[in-house]
Amino acid sequence: MPTAKDLQSLSDQEVVALARAGAESAYRELVRRYERPVFSLIYRMVRDHALAEDLAQDAFVKVLNALDSYRAEYKFSSWIFKIANNVAIDQLRRRELDTLSLDGSPDARTQEQIEATALQATDRAETPLAELEARELGAAIEEAIAKLRPEYRSCIMLRHVEGRSYEEIAEALDLPLGTVKTYIHRARHELREYLAHLRG
Amino acid sequence: MIHKQLRDAELDATVVRALSRLPSHAPTRGFADRVMARVQLPQPSPVVLYRRARAWAAQPRHALALASGYAAAALIAMAFVVPWLLAHLPAIGFTAEWAAGRASGAARQGLLTLAQWVTSSGAADRFQSLSLSGGRLWLAISALTLGYAGCAAGLHYFLRTPRGKDVPVQLPL
Repeated sequence: MPTAKDLQSLSDQEVVALARAGAESAYRELVRRYERPVFSLIYRMVRDHALAEDLAQDAFVKVLNALDSYRAEYKFSSWIFKIANNVAIDQLRRRELDTLSLDGSPDARTQEQIEATALQATDRAETPLAELEARELGAAIEEAIAKLRPEYRSCIMLRHVEGRSYEEIAEALDLPLGTVKTYIHRARHELREYLAHLRG
Repeated sequence: MIHKQLRDAELDATVVRALSRLPSHAPTRGFADRVMARVQLPQPSPVVLYRRARAWAAQPRHALALASGYAAAALIAMAFVVPWLLAHLPAIGFTAEWAAGRASGAARQGLLTLAQWVTSSGAADRFQSLSLSGGRLWLAISALTLGYAGCAAGLHYFLRTPRGKDVPVQLPL
């Protein structure tokens, strides 16, 4: 069986073929390749580190236990993002997490946790210009992403953070290509509006 | 209006730039181990062993070694076989002629046996008395057509390009 170093030079399809042949190192290679993008996607969907880790674990277990049903004509990354996105969306629906909520993560138990996970720019009218200046643009964007509808969020994350093509996103999220483009357009429009508002 | 468009374009560029610079988050240490603890690895079975052999052969180095071994074996075999053939040409010609004679004799004998059976068993009379007109003729034609179509479908199914999980991994050598 190949070593971890051998596996690094192989494509996803080749690693999947080895995993289906029972190579544990191939399973680990798939986890190594996708743990960060999958975790990042889920984390930005649910905004809770521990919950995101549990969900990412569930997504990987689902993927790796169902490798036999993976169809080689599709990109492996599309498949894994599809499952990760479904896991996150299911969780959001199950817990009825209001993604526009400004009350912090639903998993927050103490007052500190609620404050730590709550969106800071809660009241646009009261947000002082100084606050924006003090913040990193990235932090502002993270907050803006958290305000987007989940389907917009998945699209914009896959497109602009993970660098996936429109076609791959459509495949991963089971959406028509036109819908993906519309979602991304609207998401960028909302992010723009948010930033513009912060800038005053 | 133009001012607004410029401002939007500038903001859009800022948004895209900021998105592309967002850090990727990582799970805590030992994430892979926790995942692997819940994953069921395929148990050894003929299918898994076949896939294992296929996956092994699909790796560039192994594929190259297999191809080289095959080519070397073919060359070595030819190195022995060709001189032997050249040295035994008359004998080979005689053997081929003898084998062809035996084969044609056996075929002739088979045909004669079949003809005798048809004559003696009365099958020829039955075929002659069979009336293939009207409905019976169409029935026979339909049955034959359906039979051919069924065989063609079966053959197509058998020879079709494998899809899905049976698609071999294509490796650039």
